[in-house]
Amino acid sequence: MSSYFHFYNVSSVKEVYSSFAHGEHLKPEKNTTDRPSLKKVLSLLGPIYFRHRIRLLLGLVALLAVNFLQLTIPRILKTGVDSLSNGAATQSSLLNLAFLICGIGVVATLLRFSWRYLIIGFSRHLERDLRKKIFSHVMLMDGSFFSKYSTGSIMAHGSNDLSAVQMACGMGMVAAIDALVMSIAAVFFMLNIHVGLTLTALLPLPVLALATRFLTGSMHRRFDRVQEQFSGLTEFARSSISSIRLIKAYTLEKSQAKCFALLGRKYVDSSIRVAVIQGLLFPIATLVGSSGMLLVLYFGGRLVILESISMGDFVAFITYLYMLIWPMMAVGWVANLSQRGVTSLRRIHLLLSEKSQLLPGKEESQPKNTFFELRQLSFTYPRSKRRILENITLSLTPEILGITGPTGCGKTTLCQLLARMYPVPNQTLFFGETDVNALSVESVQKHISFVSQETMLFSNNLRENICFGRPDASMERIIHAAKAAAIHEEILSFPEGYESMIGEKGVTLSGGQRSRVALARALLCDRPILIIDDGLADVDTETEQKIMENIAPWLKDKTVIWVSQRIKQLARTDRVLVLEDGKISDIGPYDELMQHNSFLAEISRRQHLRGKHNHA
Amino acid sequence: MRNFGYFEEDYTRSLSERGLWRRTLGYLHPFRFPFAGAVLLSLVVTGSTLSLPWLMQQAIDLYITRQALSFDQRMAGLLTNVLLYGGLICVGFITAFLQVVLLEWIGQSIMHTLRQNLFSHLLEIDLRFFSKQPVDRLVTRITNDVQNMHEMFTSIMVTVFNDLLRMACILGLLIYINYKLGLLLCLFVPLAAIVTILFSRLARNHFRAIRKQLSKVNAFVQEIVSGIMLVQLFGRTDELQDNFAKLNDGYLKKTLLQIRLFGMFMPITELMSSLAIALILWYGGGQIIQNQLSLGELVAFLSYMRLFFQPLRELSQKYSIVQSALASAERIFHLLDTEAENQTSLQHGQIKLPSLTGELCFKNVNFSYLTDHAVLHDINFSVKQGETVAIVGSTGSGKSTLINLLLRFYTPDSGHISLAGFSLPDIPHNHLRREIGVVMQEMLILQDTLFNNIVLDTGKQRKEVKKLLQQTQLDQFVSNLPQGLDTVIGEGGQTMSTGEKQLLAIARVLCRNPSILVLDEASSAIDSKTENLLEQPLEHCFAEKTVLIIAHRLSTVQRADRIIVLDKGRIVEQGSHHKLLKKQGTYSKLIALDFETDKIG
Repeated sequence: MSSYFHFYNVSSVKEVYSSFAHGEHLKPEKNTTDRPSLKKVLSLLGPIYFRHRIRLLLGLVALLAVNFLQLTIPRILKTGVDSLSNGAATQSSLLNLAFLICGIGVVATLLRFSWRYLIIGFSRHLERDLRKKIFSHVMLMDGSFFSKYSTGSIMAHGSNDLSAVQMACGMGMVAAIDALVMSIAAVFFMLNIHVGLTLTALLPLPVLALATRFLTGSMHRRFDRVQEQFSGLTEFARSSISSIRLIKAYTLEKSQAKCFALLGRKYVDSSIRVAVIQGLLFPIATLVGSSGMLLVLYFGGRLVILESISMGDFVAFITYLYMLIWPMMAVGWVANLSQRGVTSLRRIHLLLSEKSQLLPGKEESQPKNTFFELRQLSFTYPRSKRRILENITLSLTPEILGITGPTGCGKTTLCQLLARMYPVPNQTLFFGETDVNALSVESVQKHISFVSQETMLFSNNLRENICFGRPDASMERIIHAAKAAAIHEEILSFPEGYESMIGEKGVTLSGGQRSRVALARALLCDRPILIIDDGLADVDTETEQKIMENIAPWLKDKTVIWVSQRIKQLARTDRVLVLEDGKISDIGPYDELMQHNSFLAEISRRQHLRGKHNHA
Repeated sequence: MRNFGYFEEDYTRSLSERGLWRRTLGYLHPFRFPFAGAVLLSLVVTGSTLSLPWLMQQAIDLYITRQALSFDQRMAGLLTNVLLYGGLICVGFITAFLQVVLLEWIGQSIMHTLRQNLFSHLLEIDLRFFSKQPVDRLVTRITNDVQNMHEMFTSIMVTVFNDLLRMACILGLLIYINYKLGLLLCLFVPLAAIVTILFSRLARNHFRAIRKQLSKVNAFVQEIVSGIMLVQLFGRTDELQDNFAKLNDGYLKKTLLQIRLFGMFMPITELMSSLAIALILWYGGGQIIQNQLSLGELVAFLSYMRLFFQPLRELSQKYSIVQSALASAERIFHLLDTEAENQTSLQHGQIKLPSLTGELCFKNVNFSYLTDHAVLHDINFSVKQGETVAIVGSTGSGKSTLINLLLRFYTPDSGHISLAGFSLPDIPHNHLRREIGVVMQEMLILQDTLFNNIVLDTGKQRKEVKKLLQQTQLDQFVSNLPQGLDTVIGEGGQTMSTGEKQLLAIARVLCRNPSILVLDEASSAIDSKTENLLEQPLEHCFAEKTVLIIAHRLSTVQRADRIIVLDKGRIVEQGSHHKLLKKQGTYSKLIALDFETDKIG
């Protein structure tokens, strides 16, 4: 029955190692304020266990049956050895016993297959269900969630933590049951043979328990240190590689390599400190097991000599003791595994108990129109003190509203609030004459299309990317939108045109091309509200001019919110809003604002030739 | 886009498996003596493990069942045996411990060497390479892939050797004890071999399929999470959840297939072990009846058989470790095989490094990043000692490329660049880069004091730096920081504004006292406060040095002695600001159109 142990021993180490390859996973959760109770955390698994109860039950039966069969083999051996030592054995009686062992072996094989398939398979089902749950949960979260959990952290939850849970619920569970059943049974049979001898044989076991406890404790501490150093190493490599141009320009190659070597050395040292403990753990288990054997050899041998027990008893006793060693060694492993499993499950639980900060709204309330109304809207990001927006009062009706202002003035935040990415206080933001908090998020979002500052395209073909918001759009419409965004011709120049894949295995798009694809995507949605959050910053001036002309018909009768730093774009708007330090510092038609607004004047000063060359 | 190493292609076999092994073992070479020591230790461990059942057999046969001897004799004999047994246990314990630590040390040291080689090599590779590789993939090479190989050195190399040795020893022993029974049990060897090989093949395929599917799942999640805002806005959540469910189910299916395979194989070894026990009982028992075998020997046979099958159970797991290590090794060696930057024809230290003060010349330079997509055409210009030249042009006109060529990040396809009469390829690139001071838009801040960040590797003294800062009027910015030059900056330290970072970059460059100063002006995000801060230090530079600027600000352009206008990779105009404006050509158009990229805020 040592198979699972051996099999997973190696992989557990590997798993431990691989988990600290990702720094995100390891940083202890800062959020210790509300550590969920174990019961609550385990309740996450309850329904999944319940759903697979029959599978689990059958697996358990198979597992116990294997254990039972496992225990009968020493008894058969005992019969055989006894008959041999008292001369009662014959060829045919031995053959019968041999056949019996073979038969048990075959049945055990089938049962072993069954429990593996049932129980380990269950852990994979569990993994699947939990992964799905995490994904669905994340999909419904708002911006406040994503500012707390980075993509990396979500990935770590979905892979490292999940596999820790899977290990604990699969092999960990099997090993735990197995260790329990086998050790109880082995001890029972041993007691049956000779009570005194059993107690003698078990004498060294507490040493193992104590040693394991002590060693695993300090191993955890040392592991943490290794993990820390590993993520330090990773971070250093990352920052060096991302600034490779600078390193080369400043000829820092050698000194960077030296720093890296220093970090690497430290990592090696701590790893060896871990190895010292690991190096002790397994030999100690062997040592303790062998000591038990030694005691049995001496005292058991003495009992045989004194004829208190038979030779067969002696052999069987030794076999049972062997059986006991593995569960004992497994205890440390199981404890470690379940501890990791619970820790990971707790992290998953925390993630799943995050709620979207956006109120669900009422089903029945529907916006009356698609106009926004902001009434003294102030906004502070969750877990932050700095007020980003202050007292914004504004109504947005079909027109083109340009928004400008210095970095950090709150332009992007304003756009994100309109797109319902973050929660807003009651009675400050109205959509279609209804407080947005009374509306479902979706009922607002479905009227908005968005071009963000950082262009996000999916690794799919260009056509799919453009029609992302309108999967049912005809090719004609797609081309139409692409033409408006002045990207059509460039798409056609790719070998596979609209079917070209984006990304490493396909075409690489420049920043400008990407933002134009994103614009086409937003235009194609043809929703009443269009928000362009500085989405054309990467597009060069000539193309920009072209786009501005092309999209005019698309913007008709729409509310367009256009964040821009370019005068040329602002000049084309109906109204310009200047945002400074989260407040509206000025709003009005462009020409009017140009007369007196200092911020616009500053742009003007820099873009001096404005006076001489009229902006078309 | 970050990929976190969660999705990674598998072993592609573009390097031969034998080649991989040879190179991997090459790293072991410097450690051959400690490694031999580890092997020796493992021999001792094996020896003591195998002696234990033998000692037990001896105890049973010679004393426990020897009724002819007196009780005291039997007990005394038993005690000797037990003491020996105890000694062996202790030897086993100590050697096993030493072996683990020694192996870890060897493994870690090799990994350290490998990681260090990889990192140093990476820093030497041509920039062209980095434009194609995502940073995270390279980081994964240095961290996770190296870690994967570590696994192989510590848990595979010695144990595989040890396992084979142990199995051979056991068979030898069994044959020695009773050759008939021993030879009979040898029948299990080919059987075990066949099963194991078959299983390994199958397991590899499953292993790959699972990895591939998991990469798909992770890549999908990562992409969706990064684009979650779009997904929600465009109302695609339900559909993507369905797609995800499909991928997720696919993964489940593949893992279940693997479980089925393991479920079949793992019990087969157990079954073989049961069969062996049955065989020993039946045949060995028969031998005992015929007095060919003792009872103790039978017990020893049973124990040895158990030990014999142990390594087989681990074999498959080891196999998958080897597979993933090989995949990592392949990727690592692939990276190590990527060529480093071309060195110069001048050997380091061969001659005195030339002074590079003098004229900079571009002559008929052509360049393209990708073949058939030329970025620079026939560039000809020269910059005299002490001149300030601004380069302007719209995005993609080739401004930054000029700087890349000057710094020899890239080599021109044709044409010739010279500095102070030396052809660029003749100057060792480290020397060249030391002599050309660049202030770039991006910023590298080491997590260290401001002083160290300014000095870098120049070895300048504190006094010199202070003097320099005073001269260039940068000292005010330094005194604004809480601990002056000793302020720790970078991650975890004092944060600096964009303007301060720019000033640091300038201080850093001036500290190197370069022959040529290259400024890549920030195209955006400079407010008037920063601009004022930069004014004086820059003034200082312009007065003293040869300066080349990629200009985005009108104020800079106006101050330059000469302006070179680039358009689609060609020099279309050259001259002073006023001269070019009068010309009403590309420059004036560019000013009209493009200088609004000079954004505020």
